[in-house]
Amino acid sequence: MKKIGFSILLLSLMLTGCQTSKPTLKVFSWGAYIDNTVIEKFENDYDCVVIYDMFESNESMYTKLLSGEKYDVLVPSDYMVQRLIDEDALQALDYTKLTNASGIINGLLNREFDPTNTYSIPYFWGNVGLIYNTTIVDQTDLSQGWNILRDTTYKGQVYVYDSERDVFMVALKALGYSTNTTNMSQINKAYDWLEVLDKTMDPVYSTDDVIDNMIQGNKAIAMVYSGDATYITAENPDMAYYVPLQGTNFWVDSMVISRDAKEVDLAHEWINTMLDPEVAKLNSVFVGYSSPIQTVFDDLKETDFYGLSAYTPRLDYPNDEVFKYNEDIKRIISDLWVKVKAN
Amino acid sequence: MVGSKNRKLTRFFLIAGVLLFFYAPIASLMVFSFNDSRSLTSWAGFSTQWYTALFANREMMSAIYVTLLVALLSTFISTVVGTLTAIGISKSRKIIRELIINVNNFPILNPEIVTAIGLMLLFSSLSIEKGLITMLVAHIIFSTPYVILTVLPKLRGLDPDIAEAAMDLGATPAQALWKVIIPLIMPGVISGALLAFTMSFDDFVISYFVSGNGVKNISILVYTMSKRINPTINALSTILVVIITVVLLIVNLLPILKKKELRGAE
Amino acid sequence: MRVFGNLVKPYMVWMSLFIVIPMLLIVLYAFTTHGNSVMAFQFTFDNFGKFFDPVFIKVMLKSIQVALITTGVCIVIGYPIAYVIANVDERWQTLLMLLVTIPMWINMLVRTYAWISILSDSGLINTFLKSINIGPLKMMYTDFAVILGMVYNFLPFMILSIYTSLAKMDKAVINASYDLGANTRQTFMKITLPLSMPGVISGVTLVFLPAVSTFIIPKFLGGGQYMLIGNLIENQFITVGEWNFGSAISLIMAIIIMLSMYMTRKIDKDIVQEAQGGNKW
Repeated sequence: MKKIGFSILLLSLMLTGCQTSKPTLKVFSWGAYIDNTVIEKFENDYDCVVIYDMFESNESMYTKLLSGEKYDVLVPSDYMVQRLIDEDALQALDYTKLTNASGIINGLLNREFDPTNTYSIPYFWGNVGLIYNTTIVDQTDLSQGWNILRDTTYKGQVYVYDSERDVFMVALKALGYSTNTTNMSQINKAYDWLEVLDKTMDPVYSTDDVIDNMIQGNKAIAMVYSGDATYITAENPDMAYYVPLQGTNFWVDSMVISRDAKEVDLAHEWINTMLDPEVAKLNSVFVGYSSPIQTVFDDLKETDFYGLSAYTPRLDYPNDEVFKYNEDIKRIISDLWVKVKAN
Repeated sequence: MVGSKNRKLTRFFLIAGVLLFFYAPIASLMVFSFNDSRSLTSWAGFSTQWYTALFANREMMSAIYVTLLVALLSTFISTVVGTLTAIGISKSRKIIRELIINVNNFPILNPEIVTAIGLMLLFSSLSIEKGLITMLVAHIIFSTPYVILTVLPKLRGLDPDIAEAAMDLGATPAQALWKVIIPLIMPGVISGALLAFTMSFDDFVISYFVSGNGVKNISILVYTMSKRINPTINALSTILVVIITVVLLIVNLLPILKKKELRGAE
Repeated sequence: MRVFGNLVKPYMVWMSLFIVIPMLLIVLYAFTTHGNSVMAFQFTFDNFGKFFDPVFIKVMLKSIQVALITTGVCIVIGYPIAYVIANVDERWQTLLMLLVTIPMWINMLVRTYAWISILSDSGLINTFLKSINIGPLKMMYTDFAVILGMVYNFLPFMILSIYTSLAKMDKAVINASYDLGANTRQTFMKITLPLSMPGVISGVTLVFLPAVSTFIIPKFLGGGQYMLIGNLIENQFITVGEWNFGSAISLIMAIIIMLSMYMTRKIDKDIVQEAQGGNKW
């Protein structure tokens, strides 16, 4: 017994001893949002260890931070950047270290959530739309816009993205309201809209599993992010992407450095590397999301992603909105969404 | 005669049916780990590319390492603590014994998710950074009660005066413990340790709530990767299934084989 | 034997720190309001009030219903299997029980994950059905898939528990019953079944308890719209960040489960007594 115990302790000491004293950079980003070779190359170039962790939604990322996890670099969306700025959880970026920042598409900068880009810099951008099977869905039905998700012709044929902000955006836009409304009667109408969808359409609420399911053609219509749509349409030519004219959410997922980051210099190097045209191209090709680097974007829309409308989300369309963070509305919406799902 | 034959057939089909139900999904999982394409439903030829991918995937290797490390350490600690506590319980007054056994039953009777959030709340209110240490502590917490529960019945079957007899003959309490009591309850200790190991090795719910900062065990990794079709998960699962089956076969069949050998020698 | 009695002291400290305090924390969070800091809490019943919304009561009832169906299916399948195994040649018993219990040791996520590629719309079953020209069957994301997943995961516990009680049964009692002129059916109904009841009941607790609180199986096989009580708790803690409400739900669930365990144990005792009374006859 003693011997076994001793050898186990020795073994574990040996195992823990293997871990290096190299600097460790902790990155927290979306699932499947990077070409893994980029991480390895970064580790070699900067002689460090990168802990790359993934989240499913802005809300779950925030909850993780709340429960005491600490990361150096985060990649939240616009409204979550705003929330983190409001709560003083971020530190200002040092642009002298971000030499590649000049390549960013102008339209993505100086947005309302971080008016001077003091804290954040774009990583990927896009919008939310519908992916549909051209062999099943009648093109004329698309003119209903978001209401096609409640068209009973397609009962049992829809995937809805399981994210409170996005589903309420769809409902509010379908009803002709602003996604950032604070009017309770509009929010309640959106809730009713979603209840009807839930009751009559037999939808499946999915997250990343929608990607493979749509590539296999398991259902006719799915609500997806434009980047996933690029990947799906590239893999399955029967699928096409459509963004309703009622408007949608326009988003910018941005890199930020947390206030309590331990490796501030390394975090800047990481961000700068992601903005490097070569690296940005690798990432964009690998995951299908639109690159914020002008040269990469112009290149890929003519080459790898030629003819795929999802890769070129519309910029500055009047009905499209960026989310704004509002704590009370957030709480109301997340309670209502749980109710829709639970009912 | 006909009735008995029918009954035999029914029995056969019952057993065959349930075994098919148990093993067909596992078999399909294993078969498609050798598929030459990314599909999990159509066969495209034999390949070991997913195994190559598995061993090249640093995240997976680190998950395997975390799982093994936590399982080994938590098994060792919970077995030692659990065994000593069980011995203590068997020699304690009734009130203390009842108290400990009742509190000890909490993590066993409670749904895992409740134990998990309790620990999560504890760690975050003490602002302990979640990671390997919190995972290890949590695993020790949930496996120790099972060790105690497995060892206690063995102690009940023990002659209560045996330790005293050893000490009367000049043994120190520690010697009585190590040389007399522990060897006698060894079978219970071993099955407690096995239970602790497998519980730690397979745990998802508790690890999911109490770990963080990039520390993942195999279960958490499977959970995060299951959204996309990924035959490397199948490759990893296949390896796990094979190892577990082999270990279980050895543990269960060895005593039988030994018995036969002894009988043969006679 | 005071010396050895001291051995419990370290564990008592450990136990209060890691078992008792977490429980108290759940209670504390359940009865306090917003903010995830322990220092700034305020007493409230709101979290419970929120739960008694018809929507959440429905989730609770649905979880209990699904768990009960799972338990029922496990008894119906598990009993005959355990009975057959307990009555085959002894050499085979060990091997068959080993085969039944091996899946128990395999990671639950892996076992559940295996079903996704079988049940999905373009999965193995539907690929097969398509090849013989039967339209795709919708199995994924239904009650059927979730209950199937639960039965698959928890059936071995039921079989094991019933088998154990059947195997340790005194064969002399059964033979006596035959000697006294009872037929197979009578012997089974009057002797075997009552005597194996403790096994069935411990099987029920082993199946019902994890089935009512799991969130993996509904998440993998039921999709995001399939919400059971475990998913609701997970959702509050991982996504929404409402720990107080999440704690309240957990507390309610824990109490319901403790109560039902207490009740099954009581029934268990009654049945055992009755069966022993039956023996005297």
